[in-house]
Amino acid sequence: MSGPAKFRNNVKISERHGAGEWTIERVALALLMPLGVWIASTGFTLSDAGYEGVLAWFASPLNAGLLIVTTVAFFTFVSLAWKVIIEDYIHAPVAKTLAIGGLNLVFLTLAAVSVFLIVRLALGSAPLPAGIGA
Amino acid sequence: MSSSPLPGDASNDPAADRTGRFVRQPNGRVRPLSPHLQIWRWHVTMTASILFRVTIGAISVGAVIAIGWLAAVAFGPDAFATARTFATSPFGLFIGFGLTVVLFSFVLNGSRHLFNDTGNGLTLKSANLLSNIAVWGPIPLAVLFWVVLFATGRVSL
Repeated sequence: MSGPAKFRNNVKISERHGAGEWTIERVALALLMPLGVWIASTGFTLSDAGYEGVLAWFASPLNAGLLIVTTVAFFTFVSLAWKVIIEDYIHAPVAKTLAIGGLNLVFLTLAAVSVFLIVRLALGSAPLPAGIGA
Repeated sequence: MSSSPLPGDASNDPAADRTGRFVRQPNGRVRPLSPHLQIWRWHVTMTASILFRVTIGAISVGAVIAIGWLAAVAFGPDAFATARTFATSPFGLFIGFGLTVVLFSFVLNGSRHLFNDTGNGLTLKSANLLSNIAVWGPIPLAVLFWVVLFATGRVSL
């Protein structure tokens, strides 16, 4: 499966990618802490903003950029968090693989759709379905 | 950690066991039953841990709602007006309140988790304090958030 066991501070280092996933999950969560507060403050400012006000908010590259970072960090985190939860409760190999794979597919789709919509709004594109349909 | 069973303890051999300590896992393997809810005294740290998983589930649903709003903005003024009518209805405000509870719960409980992950705050006293903040903190924060929303006239019933 792998080479001889490696140690750091007399603790065996993860043989495969488990420790890397653990670290990525923490980094994503750490990013989401300040971004979560920013989302709350954004919700507060946009709560009484009309359509034009919301468009003006998205037109700022800082807002759109931070929202894309939030989206990517969020779906990275929930994908790994759901994997941990599923591995704790679903033990049948096929069901486990299907559940993790299926959820990852859903999260990947949601992340892609979000980034697509944010970029469109940031660029001031005409309202949908212009460009993809009618 | 003692490795040998104490006198009077049940056998560790699943075949000889008559105490029901072994269970067949869904994958077919026979494993000892772990100490569980009725054996460990309930503790607020357990509530905080479970609530974080619940929060992750709830915020996943919240993200879908947020993307729905994003789509409403992207689909133009009419879709935006429909979404706004729903969001400002009593049921919409109820959902909105729930979403703020979930968001604050995510931030507070996530911070607790990250702090504990660095090996800090794990004494009985600080673990209890951090867990209590993570469990109860979101409610006053969300109430305060909505009180200010109503007081500043941004939202009204």
